[in-house]
Amino acid sequence: MDISEQLNATNVTADEVEPFLELTPALVQKRRSQGRIIFDRFLRNRAAIGGAVFLVLLLLFCVLGPLFWRVDPTQTNLLNVSATLASPSPAHPLGTDDVGRDVLARAMAGGRVSLLVGLSSMLMAILLGIGIGAFAGFYGKAIDNLLMRFTDVILAVPLYLLLFVLSASFTDGTPKSVIILIAIFGWTYAARLVRGEFLALKEREFVLASRTIGAGNLRLMFRHMLPNAAGPIIVNATLLIGTNIILESVLSYFGFGIKPPDASWGSMIEVGQGLFDVDPWLVAIPGLLVFLTVLSLNLVGDGLRDALDPYMTER
Amino acid sequence: MGRYIIRRILQAIPLLFFLTVGMYLLIHLLPGGADAVLFNPHLTAAARAGLRARMGLDDPGYVQYFKWLGSALTGNFGYSFNTNEPVSDILGRRFPATLELFGSALTLALILAILLGVISAVRQGTATDYTLTVISYFGIAMPVFLLGLFAQDIFGVQLQWLPTSGTGNYGTALPPLDAFVDHVRHLILPMVVLAVAFIAGWSRYMRSSMIEVVKQDYMRTARAKGVAPVPLLFRHALRNAVIPLITVVALDFGAVAGGATITEGVFAWPGMGLLFIDSLDRRDYPILIAMLMLGAVFVITFNLIADILYAVMDPRIRYS
Repeated sequence: MDISEQLNATNVTADEVEPFLELTPALVQKRRSQGRIIFDRFLRNRAAIGGAVFLVLLLLFCVLGPLFWRVDPTQTNLLNVSATLASPSPAHPLGTDDVGRDVLARAMAGGRVSLLVGLSSMLMAILLGIGIGAFAGFYGKAIDNLLMRFTDVILAVPLYLLLFVLSASFTDGTPKSVIILIAIFGWTYAARLVRGEFLALKEREFVLASRTIGAGNLRLMFRHMLPNAAGPIIVNATLLIGTNIILESVLSYFGFGIKPPDASWGSMIEVGQGLFDVDPWLVAIPGLLVFLTVLSLNLVGDGLRDALDPYMTER
Repeated sequence: MGRYIIRRILQAIPLLFFLTVGMYLLIHLLPGGADAVLFNPHLTAAARAGLRARMGLDDPGYVQYFKWLGSALTGNFGYSFNTNEPVSDILGRRFPATLELFGSALTLALILAILLGVISAVRQGTATDYTLTVISYFGIAMPVFLLGLFAQDIFGVQLQWLPTSGTGNYGTALPPLDAFVDHVRHLILPMVVLAVAFIAGWSRYMRSSMIEVVKQDYMRTARAKGVAPVPLLFRHALRNAVIPLITVVALDFGAVAGGATITEGVFAWPGMGLLFIDSLDRRDYPILIAMLMLGAVFVITFNLIADILYAVMDPRIRYS
């Protein structure tokens, strides 16, 4: 069959249509999906892989660890002096803190809290940011102006000041209130990002094309435009988790946020700082965990940014 | 140029207005806010009602708001719950210390960030670049209070080189030169700790900005016309690369009211941040609200300065 016949033919099987493929094997490349291309580019970045590996290990440590290490992180042990501030032993591989709680169990519990707060507040913030940014960018003009002024008001107040005041007055030590509080401040960058992307995407032909076949506004925004803006959003989301984890640990360090006896890496550091000369590991362990977690998240985020960059040529 | 400035100032005014409304609502939402004075359990109901009327708490909302706004604009932020001093006096006392810490830290950070960013960009891809990038990643990921604790321990306790807290030695009256040196010794550790986080972020920004500038055609032209590499770097590349960084620096400087909070907490540096933490523990709301207001005004002012600086340095912006 020649080309003109193929174009007009019906009931054609695959082998009849594509005999040319075998004649030119050198020109045929193995087709990779878009996701696969991005994944391969990500894998070329060794630092990003290191970060991702650490995050997976951390997840296993915090979530599956307690199944193997069944020690209550809030169980104090004040029976005798040697039970507090103990050195590492088979019973307590990382020692105990000043009231006899097991540091390893607290590290796991604190990790769970940090990851929970970081992820949940990121999701909330991103959803808020996408919603506000999408409406601002899509409708433009008055709505855009209004929403961006609102964003400016939130951004104008110094972050830590407002965060501390609100957390001192409104949180009750549960992760939920901390999550909501952190999310309230985290959405602004995502909103700006989405707004910028939408302002640019609004002028593209596929938007006009979808509209002419009858797509409504909401469908346009979330079914067509948002997937195109997904790249920078994903990068921002990853970096936001790291920022939120630091925020949560700062809040706990100052006594707002997650309060003892619940474990949180920030409050562990606060407890340990007064005993730094006696047992530096009380500070070093949660400190290193926070640092390495945020570092890994930053590396993964940067790796994603490089992998998703459309201008980076294939190497 | 003038029109651009006026336009930006006009845009900032409604923002300030919304902020005052937000602050006012915040006062009324916080526990122990406007009605805190009346929590005395010994007051009879009649006395309490009379007190409320005399203090104007029965006026409609907008009247109360404008009264509050009027006094806030003249600098009267009320009296501290704790010491009954006027809040503006307390703030005035604490502000110079924060300004000193923040200003010196940001200046140090700016100098080092430009230096490290340029070195990293010029030696892009080499071991130097890689090392500096790794160090800046560390700086970004490290929480400030952790770095402060480690620095205090290493330099203050182990090596005994520098003092770990406060602004000076109390107890002995030193001659002026020694007192100044002592003050500087106390300043070094918190200043460096505060600067590290800024250096990490800014140097990466400077690096990418510099790389972009060096790729431009006019750089190649200048080199072809015979400009030596070093003057080329400073006179042509640096000038253009530094523009976005300066605006970021101006924006970060806007955080002066609360930006050093954590550092001041760790090093017991008697500035606005420490005042904020102490007031927070004592639930001293007049000071807290005044600091939030002041902080917001600073942020908006420095946003404006950053925009104006950008327009001054990059003429293309003025006509957009």
